[in-house]
Amino acid sequence: MQNSHIFREIDNSMVSLKDNVLLMASLTRLNLERAIHSLLTRDVDLARVVIGDDTEVDELELKIDHLGMDILVRFHPVATDLRLVITSMKMACNLERISDHAVNIAKRAKKIGKSTEMVEASVIEPLYSMAEKLLRDALLAYTDANSDLGESLKSADAGLDKAHKEVIALLSSRLENSDGRAENLLHLIFIARSLERIGDLAVNIGEDSVFLSEARVIRHDRKASGPGGN
Amino acid sequence: MGTAIQIRNVNFAYGAKRVLHDVTLDIPDRQVTAFIGPSGCGKSTLIRCINRINDRIPGARVTAGSIHIHDIDIHRPDLNLQELRRRVGMVFQKYNPFAKSIYENVVYGLRIAGVKNRAELDDAAEKALTSAALWDEVKDRLHTSATGLSGGQQQRLCIARVIATEPDIVLMDEPCAALDPLATLKIEELITELKQKFTIVIVTHNMSQATRCSDRTAFMYLGKLIEYGETLQIFENPKNPQTEAYITGAFG
Repeated sequence: MQNSHIFREIDNSMVSLKDNVLLMASLTRLNLERAIHSLLTRDVDLARVVIGDDTEVDELELKIDHLGMDILVRFHPVATDLRLVITSMKMACNLERISDHAVNIAKRAKKIGKSTEMVEASVIEPLYSMAEKLLRDALLAYTDANSDLGESLKSADAGLDKAHKEVIALLSSRLENSDGRAENLLHLIFIARSLERIGDLAVNIGEDSVFLSEARVIRHDRKASGPGGN
Repeated sequence: MGTAIQIRNVNFAYGAKRVLHDVTLDIPDRQVTAFIGPSGCGKSTLIRCINRINDRIPGARVTAGSIHIHDIDIHRPDLNLQELRRRVGMVFQKYNPFAKSIYENVVYGLRIAGVKNRAELDDAAEKALTSAALWDEVKDRLHTSATGLSGGQQQRLCIARVIATEPDIVLMDEPCAALDPLATLKIEELITELKQKFTIVIVTHNMSQATRCSDRTAFMYLGKLIEYGETLQIFENPKNPQTEAYITGAFG
């Protein structure tokens, strides 16, 4: 945000909106981190915590929607203010989906944790590191209104996509002689898939951050386009 | 879309006090152009330059630059001022119907122009009142006093009075400032209808009004044109930080 608004209630509402987005973002990151940790350390109780804590993320999404609608109705924001409200509401939607993926990972980690140890689980860690970095950068692009960082995420996500394909190929090859471990290998494949989707959602947040800082719409188009573009 | 009003490097002063500095913009034909900016920024002065109504103020004058309406220089010596003001009508902040009947208010300009034929006047009155979205409300009391109408109706009557003379351009200086929200919406609806036939320039302090009913917006500050462009661009992504600060209410 630029200078303070003359009508200070607008500042208060904007700050509240942004604070709630940041809170939701930190909870989502924590959920994802704990979901992966529960997989790698076979900590079933931690997986249960992740599943339970998702409710808080869902509630924050509703709260952010409510705050955004309230600002739109009361203050008719324009320019940067309008873009901040729109971006924050979209961001809450993307974060909620990321947290859902963390829950999916935790549910599968719980099942794996209750059965035989899977050495293949270690292949998930590099994917998580890449997805986590994408998410961290996306959040930074939003908080700092850093369009360069936001715009760079798409190419960074290509690395995650490539690594995801390699992991899927490896896990699929193990399925052929799985000796009763097929179900757990399928869990790992779906966990890898969730991480790949988290990368895509981080890219969405990065694209929205470009819109936030420059009013430039880069979705579906590698070329820069102006307001009202693709 | 052609240019209706071409304003080039206009400087304007009230005596020694310069209030417009080098203002240049093209106002397109049959669109609504809004002038916004804080009080004293020169937007009302600029709109009043377009029909030379400022000429009535002693010492007030355009000191440099030019204004052309459909390629005619409005400062050329042989210009007929009465004809200019027929072609460039004006609606003011405070509705100001004459203390006459509704009918006489509407046909006032035509009578001044010498129209005497009753059928022609009747026809023009109905047409103007219909265009001003007022006909259905007043057709049964055309010969009652205009001052008996509500504020919103009086303002629409003033608009009817302006458009009865079939101008090219209608200037509106805060036309809804004295109206309630519903009467304001009726005027805004009317403005979007009228742009089919007229070029409209509106001065407004109401930013929502500018976003709702204008095609282009000019932001002025301290007598200068700071930014001018498509209304959506100005309100979605202003290029100038001063425009951004003003429209978001973070000015100063």
